[in-house]
Amino acid sequence: MRRKRKGIKRQDVTDIELNIIPFIDVFSMLNTFLLFSAVFVATGIIEVQVPFLSNAPQPKEEGQRTLEVKVDAAKDKLQVITEYSKEPRNEQKFDFPNTKEGMDRMHERLVAIRQANPTQDKLSFFSEDDVIWESISAILDAAKFRKQTDPVFSFKNEKTGAMEQDQQFVFPKIIMGSVIL
Amino acid sequence: MASVGGGSKDTLTLNLYPMLDIFSILIVFLLMSYSTDPVSHDVNSGLELPDSVTMVTLDELPAIVVTKSELFVNDKKVADVVNGEIPRAQLGESFQGAIRPVYDELKRIADANKRIVAATLNDPAQVGKTGALTMEMDKGHPFKLMKRIMLSAQQAEFVTFKLVVTRIEN
Repeated sequence: MRRKRKGIKRQDVTDIELNIIPFIDVFSMLNTFLLFSAVFVATGIIEVQVPFLSNAPQPKEEGQRTLEVKVDAAKDKLQVITEYSKEPRNEQKFDFPNTKEGMDRMHERLVAIRQANPTQDKLSFFSEDDVIWESISAILDAAKFRKQTDPVFSFKNEKTGAMEQDQQFVFPKIIMGSVIL
Repeated sequence: MASVGGGSKDTLTLNLYPMLDIFSILIVFLLMSYSTDPVSHDVNSGLELPDSVTMVTLDELPAIVVTKSELFVNDKKVADVVNGEIPRAQLGESFQGAIRPVYDELKRIADANKRIVAATLNDPAQVGKTGALTMEMDKGHPFKLMKRIMLSAQQAEFVTFKLVVTRIEN
């Protein structure tokens, strides 16, 4: 090997340059296409349900005494109403202004209600006709989603018997009560 | 300036590698954002969405779009919107405040869905299952309009609504 190497003639050092212009052309085209088709607004969803009349038999829980939670929204006022499905009903009403601070206070109240009744995951929402969608979405945010500082709601699943946790929601099921009124 | 005048034979070479690096990073970022979003949806230019702290991402394209001036069902214009209201003449043969053209269009979709489900599923219990709708609506519209649309959809057996919002940090 050594001999061979010795035998190789030393050639002049030449710079080999890779032609990267076509490469840049492809990258530019790809970038332009991706930037044009990119969506920079992050969209999400708030899932709600409307009451539905069904011929299906009533579930067994109908016979139990359960807590019903309602939120009533007006242009300037929010009201949280809690009431049991059977006597003694113990109806309670909590009023809040329809402002950012009012919604924060309403959220705290709803967190306290859910903490005291962790199996109750349903909330009925009522609103007056003139309340705008921007305001409704803020109210639904306060009623539905759990903040990072809120406690985690642990409850026993009636069907499986296992302990479960609600990490994301305060009230996951929102029923738009006013739709069929 | 080296070649100006033809006096000098020097050539200037531009170092393109940093630009190539930037392009590569940009492409990787854009391709990554493509793969993480399940549905990439461009919001209609005629509407503004409200902000929300929701973490639930959009999983299907909106079937109902309510801009400031028009109402679409699956990209088909079904009614005008004037000051957050459907003109009385376009409400049609309304029942309990529903919007007839919206009901008709959704009923047609629901029936088509049922036929597809019946043809593909053997379980008859699944055929009658109620559906979900994704709705995109301008943030300035009143609840009255939303209620009318929801009622129309409910009559057409859609009871779950996925209301599209702009996601902000919690």
